[in-house]
Amino acid sequence: MTATVARQLLGRIGGLLLTLFLSSVLIFSAVLLTPGDPVVALAGGLRPTPEMIAAIKEQYLLDQPVWIQYLHWIGGVLSGDLGTSFVYRTPVVELIAPRFGITVLLVAYTLVLILVFGVGSGIVAATRGRAADRSVLIATSIGVAMPTFVVAILLIWVFGRVLGWFPVYGSGEGLLDNLFHLTLPAISLAVLYIAYTSRITRGAVVGQLHAEHVDTARVRGIPRGQIFRRHVFLNASPQILAISGATIAGLFAASAIAEQAFGIGGLGSLLTEAAARKDLPVVQVISLLLVFLFVVLNAVADVAIALIDPDSVKPRRTA
Amino acid sequence: MTFRGKALAAIAAGTALVLLAGCTPRDGETAPTDDADAGPVELVAALPAGTAEVDEVTWALVEGEPRSLVPGADYNFVQPNLCDSLLRVQPDFGVAPGIAERADWADPVTFVIDIRPGVTFWDGTPVTVEDVVYSLERHRTDVTSAFYGAFVLVAAEDGIEITGERQVTIRFVAPDSTFRDALSGGAGAVLNKAVSEAQGPALGTSGGELLCAGPFKLASWTPGREIVTVANESYWDGAPLAKKLTFRFISDGTTLTNALLEGEVDGAFNVPPSSRSSFEASETGRLVVGPSTASFSFGPARESGAGANPMIRQALSLAIDREQYISTVLGGLGQPISTFVTPFSWSGSSAAEDYQAGYDALAAPEVDLDEAKRLVAESGEDVSVPLRVAIPAGSKELSQTAAIIQSAARQIGLTVEIDERQAADFAAIFLPDPAPRENLDFVATSGYMETPGVLAYPQLFLLPPDLGGIFNWSGYADPEVTGLLEASRTAPDAESAAEAYVAAQEIFAPDLLQVSLAGSYHTTFLNDALTGATTSVAAYASPWALHLGGR
Repeated sequence: MTATVARQLLGRIGGLLLTLFLSSVLIFSAVLLTPGDPVVALAGGLRPTPEMIAAIKEQYLLDQPVWIQYLHWIGGVLSGDLGTSFVYRTPVVELIAPRFGITVLLVAYTLVLILVFGVGSGIVAATRGRAADRSVLIATSIGVAMPTFVVAILLIWVFGRVLGWFPVYGSGEGLLDNLFHLTLPAISLAVLYIAYTSRITRGAVVGQLHAEHVDTARVRGIPRGQIFRRHVFLNASPQILAISGATIAGLFAASAIAEQAFGIGGLGSLLTEAAARKDLPVVQVISLLLVFLFVVLNAVADVAIALIDPDSVKPRRTA
Repeated sequence: MTFRGKALAAIAAGTALVLLAGCTPRDGETAPTDDADAGPVELVAALPAGTAEVDEVTWALVEGEPRSLVPGADYNFVQPNLCDSLLRVQPDFGVAPGIAERADWADPVTFVIDIRPGVTFWDGTPVTVEDVVYSLERHRTDVTSAFYGAFVLVAAEDGIEITGERQVTIRFVAPDSTFRDALSGGAGAVLNKAVSEAQGPALGTSGGELLCAGPFKLASWTPGREIVTVANESYWDGAPLAKKLTFRFISDGTTLTNALLEGEVDGAFNVPPSSRSSFEASETGRLVVGPSTASFSFGPARESGAGANPMIRQALSLAIDREQYISTVLGGLGQPISTFVTPFSWSGSSAAEDYQAGYDALAAPEVDLDEAKRLVAESGEDVSVPLRVAIPAGSKELSQTAAIIQSAARQIGLTVEIDERQAADFAAIFLPDPAPRENLDFVATSGYMETPGVLAYPQLFLLPPDLGGIFNWSGYADPEVTGLLEASRTAPDAESAAEAYVAAQEIFAPDLLQVSLAGSYHTTFLNDALTGATTSVAAYASPWALHLGGR
């Protein structure tokens, strides 16, 4: 049994590394293939002389074959040297580090909202009768149709301009102020995912409510609350967890929209700016970071599912 | 010398320059973009100086985060408060003393700079003649410096020399009518020699240091977040009232508008014209409109194709309604202009009347579709080939500009395609390599001149490339124009410089090397608790926050 687990774990780590390797190659070449010349970004808005262009190309290995450039880059990344920004001339890590925290906070805040309201409303829809189910269905239908930037505009108008309850710009100072400033951005990011999570949760819970073992438990006279916690929700949770990994990674990418709308200096806004300014090292590192988060969080979700429901990892062997 | 310039009629009247650009009363109910007839705009070049100290002012940079704070390496509103220049641009575009108590021509080819005694850098070390020579030599010897062109007439051998304990003398190969004005901007900024040399390429970047003598000191720069500057208490012209001036980078117009209206930032320049009505209705702050050299225009991108044909440009110019353009794109905050260089550029010159008379003699832009169609037919160009106009991605104003060019072209039987390019790719258009321009006919841009002077801008488009015409992509070459522009540059006095320029302008204006669409005003939004900011285009090159304070 332990050997199987170990083998599975190794296989998973191997797959993870392969995914990361392939995506690093893809990211590197995709960024390099985009139109335009990075020398422009490197010249910093000046009109470079031919000598300057040659010096820049040599310094940044732009005159070398792509695979050498890749090896140099990935070698640096693996040894902790994320490179230097073309535009700011500062180490990429110094650009990313201070912004990472605020984006993580935004994503965490959003995730709490998604879990509370998404899972909560899903359970309500599944267990509290037709009227509740209808109301949640209508609300989530609107929610899934609302892009983040539309929600952001609405929130800015209603809560910022008309009611004046929340700040609509920046990220504030100190944790409490951070959270206060991130409220509207987090809501704007969460709406779509709340609706989505609510639907998934409702489906999973309804599926479990009609399962045989729940009927059996009910017949045995186990209290309703206990049945729901032990048998319904626990069994429904793998389905909810399965989308969480992708959700969190998706939130990191989607945060760019909320950060832009609310003027938050986070990772997402850095990525969009860097892409427009052809700051290749920054784009490459952030893209790789997003892929890394995606892969790792999905793996974590899978492990969590396996712990809750060991059967889920078996079918491949028993089938 | 940025790549362009234009402006508006200006009447200099001391610090608070005020002028009226006539329009009809505006309807407060309509959205600013529909506001075809914006009300009379009162132009204010500077607000009355502040009277009370303030602990902190937060300023937004809609242009985004600077790449560098070194003068000449980038244009931004942070640098002019940090690195003081030998001379100072006044809000009304006059030129006053700065670090130099006197800087002027001793004879037609000798320029003498006398440094003000007792001026120190932020760290207390005195500003010496060595620092001044070092700073001037940076531009003279570096062809990539934005100010290189200002120094081309300086003698190669011993051109810049120390001639006294507080005196530097510059010798020229010919008189230079533009040099003194240039020293009032970044070309005359003084940097500390020792620190600048020690910093090397890191100088003035987020990872490096900077040592200058301006009214604000650089305290910290957190990339992506903010630049913090603090008052230089020992500034030679008095300590600033704002003790801390923090810059935030908000490049999104809507976000900026919200942040200003909420009072989360205290002020910003170049605020979105589309938010004009929200700004004017604000109880947090006020919109101040100032004179500017800025303009919106489009011009040819290569030697072949219909864009290079002056008749096609004239036809397009005749098809575009300037009043409508100004109300749609600029929310009424601009005025029609007759050529490249617009009146505010020369408003501080002693020959202003001569320039103005020459400008007034030019044909003002008008709409005449029949004449436009006739020009298209006569041009001999194949009208079935679409014209491509490049604009930078993310600029609402230029995106509207391109759409207006497109619909005007359609009315006279031409087709226009819009080529929207990301910031870096758009910037590449302005480099010597012609590849990014190959499939383009026009480039639409906005630009300004941050220091007084008439010649710098048109030279870029009119002279042959080897004489400085770096944006002369259509191969314009008129020997008479070249001769007159050079005569103007090397004129020994302002009057003869103006005479030669006006004669050249008469010839080149109808060729529309740039089809000027509008002169745009300099906009400032400032919190009601504050006053004292420079609110004209001079803010690009002068310590605009020196008198910023509470009122």
